[in-house]
Amino acid sequence: MSFSRLFHVGAGPLEARLWSALAEIDDPEMPVNLVDLGLIYGLTVESGRACVRLTFTAMGCPATEMLMSDIRERLLAEPGIDEVCLEVVWDPPWTSARLTADGREALRAWGLSV
Amino acid sequence: MESQNSATFEGLLKRGELIESTSEMTPDYLRELKHTLIVSGDTELISAPAYYLAARKAPSVNAFMTAIAIIQDELAHAHIAYHILEELGESQEALIFKRDPKAFRYPYAFDVPLESWTELVVANAMYDQAGFCLLGDIHEQCSYGPWKRGLVKVMAEENFHLRNGRNWSKRISQAGGAAKEELQRAVDWMFPLTVEWFGLPDDLKQHSAQLEYRLKGLTNDQLRQQWLSTVVPFMESIGIRVPAHKENSHYVLDYPFPCTFDAEEKHWDYNDPCSWDDVLMRWRARGPRNAEMVALFQESFAKFQVRT
Repeated sequence: MSFSRLFHVGAGPLEARLWSALAEIDDPEMPVNLVDLGLIYGLTVESGRACVRLTFTAMGCPATEMLMSDIRERLLAEPGIDEVCLEVVWDPPWTSARLTADGREALRAWGLSV
Repeated sequence: MESQNSATFEGLLKRGELIESTSEMTPDYLRELKHTLIVSGDTELISAPAYYLAARKAPSVNAFMTAIAIIQDELAHAHIAYHILEELGESQEALIFKRDPKAFRYPYAFDVPLESWTELVVANAMYDQAGFCLLGDIHEQCSYGPWKRGLVKVMAEENFHLRNGRNWSKRISQAGGAAKEELQRAVDWMFPLTVEWFGLPDDLKQHSAQLEYRLKGLTNDQLRQQWLSTVVPFMESIGIRVPAHKENSHYVLDYPFPCTFDAEEKHWDYNDPCSWDDVLMRWRARGPRNAEMVALFQESFAKFQVRT
């Protein structure tokens, strides 16, 4: 998957596992996962505490709580993680340029021109 | 000419090809297609006021937005069905705004009010799952091209509704205590209402024109089983009891089906089995909120009509 090439550079094995876990969570309305959609800006782990910096495609996104609850639940299911902090940021803003090649392909296959 | 058309039509259906226009259809096929679309459009449309009344109880602004986004989806889905009906010669205006509330063809479940956030999310987990099974089957099997294609986006959006239902049901169950008890109570009355949503059991249904015309592909009991096979394991996985269990490869209900339902009390009497004629009578009489739900979208229509 392309996200692995993009994000795993320099990441330790635990971080890599968490990125893969995040890539299992799909957007609620489009067949693309959160990593390939480009919503995850950063991820750090320190003594069992995973911190994710993320954004949403729009400030008025009706699924923010749903996604944050899914992220929290999924990361807590990983061995070695007992706390999750989520930092929602709006700068830089999300644009379709943040899609990975796989994300772009998934949306094209679904019929969305990106 | 008529018989020639009819032979061409039968050929198209048999070869699994799609019907694209009214000129290819027999009158019987057109009638059955319209009936199926009306049930689908009415169901999507009525879910909007039904969900809206409960969405007002949302526990946060974003949760309220999620519910409103779901309602917007449902209205758009209704619009697809009514739009196709209009292309088939029906009047959207007459269908939506001029029909008597009792003439709407949506499942009885929507006549029983959803009165809390918990009941709304259980509806998302169970009613939308029923919609997902029924529409998924139409999406895969339907012989009418324009509807089959229109359902691609609908399926993706129904998935969002289901996820909201499951996500919240799980959270409420994990909270435990009174919140979990409320969730259990909602499932207790809504589960059998969704089971009956799929209609008469196959052994009582002699003939299905919908299957014959490939408007759908699965029988009532097959769709009911599909629904049970997703809802039962999910509810069990979050620690909620449901009156059904798996036996070999299929699901069996743990209560007499059908049995009597008190809509005002939202209570099923498992000690009082009834006949399907009794159920059909209850459905035809409609439930407590039928007129109110329909009025929610009908009442302002006449007021804003431009008089010519």
